[in-house]
Amino acid sequence: MAGLETFYEVMRRQGITRRSFLKYCSLTAAALGLGPEFVPEIAHAMENKPRTPVLWLHGLECTCCSESFIRSAHPLVKDVVLSMISLDYDDTLMASAGHQAEAILDEVMEKYKGNYILAVEGNPPLNEDGMYCIIGGKPFVDQLKKVAKDAKAVISWGSCASHGCVQAARPNPTRATPVHEVILDKPIIKVPGCPPIAEVMTGVITYMLTFDRLPELDRQGRPKMFYSQRIHDKCYRRPHFDAGQYVEAFDDEGARKGYCLYKVGCKGPTTYNACSTTRWNDGVSFPIQSGHGCIGCSEDGFWDKGSWYARLTDLKGVGFGIEANADRVGMAAAGVVGGGIAVHAAVSALKRARHKDADQQSTPADHNNKGEAA
Amino acid sequence: MSVADAGGGTRRLVVGPFNRVEGDLEVRLDIAGGEVLAAFVTSPLFRGFERILEGRDPRDALVIAPRICGICSVSQSHAAALALAGVQGVAPTANGRVATNLLVATENVADHLTHFHVFFMPDFARAIYAGQPWFARAETRFKAAQGTSVRAALATRTTLLHVLGLLAGRWPHTLAIQPGGVTRGADARDKMRLLATLGATRQELEERLFGAPLARIAALAAPEELDALRRGESDLALFLAIAEDLDLASLGRAYDRYLSYGAYPDEDGRLYARGIVTSEGRGALDTDAIAEDHTNARMEGRWRAHHPFEGFTFPDATDETGYSWCKAPRLAGLPFETGAVARQMVDGQPLIRALVASGGGSVFVRVLARLIETARTLLAMEDWVRRLEPGAPWCAQGEMPREGRAAGLTEAARGALGHWLRVEDGRIAGYQIIAPTTWNFSPRDAAGVPGPLEAALVGAPVRQGETTPVAVQHIVRSFDPCMVCTVH
Repeated sequence: MAGLETFYEVMRRQGITRRSFLKYCSLTAAALGLGPEFVPEIAHAMENKPRTPVLWLHGLECTCCSESFIRSAHPLVKDVVLSMISLDYDDTLMASAGHQAEAILDEVMEKYKGNYILAVEGNPPLNEDGMYCIIGGKPFVDQLKKVAKDAKAVISWGSCASHGCVQAARPNPTRATPVHEVILDKPIIKVPGCPPIAEVMTGVITYMLTFDRLPELDRQGRPKMFYSQRIHDKCYRRPHFDAGQYVEAFDDEGARKGYCLYKVGCKGPTTYNACSTTRWNDGVSFPIQSGHGCIGCSEDGFWDKGSWYARLTDLKGVGFGIEANADRVGMAAAGVVGGGIAVHAAVSALKRARHKDADQQSTPADHNNKGEAA
Repeated sequence: MSVADAGGGTRRLVVGPFNRVEGDLEVRLDIAGGEVLAAFVTSPLFRGFERILEGRDPRDALVIAPRICGICSVSQSHAAALALAGVQGVAPTANGRVATNLLVATENVADHLTHFHVFFMPDFARAIYAGQPWFARAETRFKAAQGTSVRAALATRTTLLHVLGLLAGRWPHTLAIQPGGVTRGADARDKMRLLATLGATRQELEERLFGAPLARIAALAAPEELDALRRGESDLALFLAIAEDLDLASLGRAYDRYLSYGAYPDEDGRLYARGIVTSEGRGALDTDAIAEDHTNARMEGRWRAHHPFEGFTFPDATDETGYSWCKAPRLAGLPFETGAVARQMVDGQPLIRALVASGGGSVFVRVLARLIETARTLLAMEDWVRRLEPGAPWCAQGEMPREGRAAGLTEAARGALGHWLRVEDGRIAGYQIIAPTTWNFSPRDAAGVPGPLEAALVGAPVRQGETTPVAVQHIVRSFDPCMVCTVH
């Protein structure tokens, strides 16, 4: 690996043209929500700063994060980022094998002590002294602690590293444990999602490498630029939610009209992620666009919150279930319900009902709404 | 990796971790006289998905089970949907079935491309082969992450995955496959986009990978037909030249016993037939004869092998003898190989049949079977797109009964994948999964019979001073292992 090469030099060495480099800088600025005035700044940083090595470790996982990052990403972004970090150590991709690989790991740690970024995909299982995930004859948790010790910062890729994910679901047979519960003395950036969106992953790592600082994080340690809005906030089916128009079953009349998926289990209203804006597979689509509700895969504990095919049931014990709210739109008195999304559903529908009321003379069906909502 | 003297002139070598395989893998080799005497395959990663699934709403298997694996997630979700459909007694609509085939096939073809370009071929660009006449070509095309063909194939693959994006929202961890079909239908515009995507993929593959039309590759029947292809400029030509030079056709033979659950159902039958092939020829598949043996699996329940409906997954912390987390699945007590070569053998693809009949299943045949299957499947996919009917039902509705059990059997890129589901009192009472690599990389059973890879490695040459024997790498990768599926 090169000593003091700049990012730009690394890219050029990997056969990336100047033109592609500049295009990449503007794509990155856009992905990070920065204006075009930042493009020269990014380009300047990359032309002059020595690249930061990134070590990418895999624990207990399914490799979906790597798949998303490497193989579904925008080709240009993927090429540039891959060449930039050249994955100094990555089990899945590396050409070398066995002890060569281990040697690279030691070499990078020694040479760039305190200056490399550790990216972790998956998490360590702690039961039985970590024997459920053995890498090179040793428990993964040992490798993780060893490499984290001299890292500048840690990126927790995906829901496994960030939160535990489905392998930590009840009864969590291996005691799969998120990274931040094992590594306590390093800045940790969580990039949850199962998997995270490729553009979110490249955006986060590019930001860190370009500006040499952590992105601004929210309370849960997620980069605000990608996790500050709910799927629901930017969902293209949102008008149907507000109008109280729902899919009741896959392929029913509502499904054919593209109605809201809330009643078939969509967790969009409680999920913070960028799917509905950035979308997947080169921006082609995202789960809600395929007619399936959001499963909330970037939220902590999404695996143990009840069935994904049941409606959101945050409101148990307030006298009626959520379906009552959605079904009997307008009947429900918003004041009775404690809070959360059901209120949102009811209120949205009420607004619609009121509008309707105002526009036309009240119909028998609306009569209730008017009475109750007033 | 470590080397130790095991006495009697036998050397013991532990190879691993392997790169460019999905998940973690370790292989212990006993070596004498420059070749492998015995091999022990270890899957060092365990998560316990089967236990996690127990007690949940059966429908949630559609979300949890696919997360076993980030590269075969569509196959896992298909197996889960089939098991649920079996319990519900629902059959997918025609549109749903065709769309599901498209989704599963897209992932399988993408996996075959990844295997060939990213996992298998880069080994021939290793310095150990620097003296071979084809080395310069191999290095240009297949050097890891930089080879021209590697880059081109990844780009093609990304294009192909638009099919999954378009029909199913995203990949990996697609959610669209349901027991009754899919969550989204295709309209006329989608069909045009799908055909354009598949057309672009076809063009890429015909030009760079095959150097020939897909139809010609799909119809290969006699071994002599390969001679003309070997002289071309394609990736396939290079592979054929390397295979001939290194005699990959005599490397890595296992039992020549093949299992396929059959893939891509139609109104009548499947694109690739269901069945088995043994020394007695082609036979029917009896799923009642499938059982998992725990003798070397670090799992409780060693007293007998368990049919997956009666199976369970309890790690044995006090275990002293087991060497893998992987159970040993057997059909009628025998290990079976699964994968593209098994599918093409069972389906009767003439060239693969002829090659196995003359020289046995080998590294060469496994890889060639994948390439032929890629061509066959892509042709079928174009046909399926044309058969999608905009506006016709895409998902049938089913009711989940309180009790029931069913198996969901499908074919992932790497071979036979089965989910065995038991529902009691409206919840999942049992969920057992046997993945393709569980079959191929199984440890020894109670009778001491090695799994297919363990058998295939016996006799592999180990050159002087090699600590990661390149022949072993070729054999291991010829199975296209998916270790995260193997133990789940």
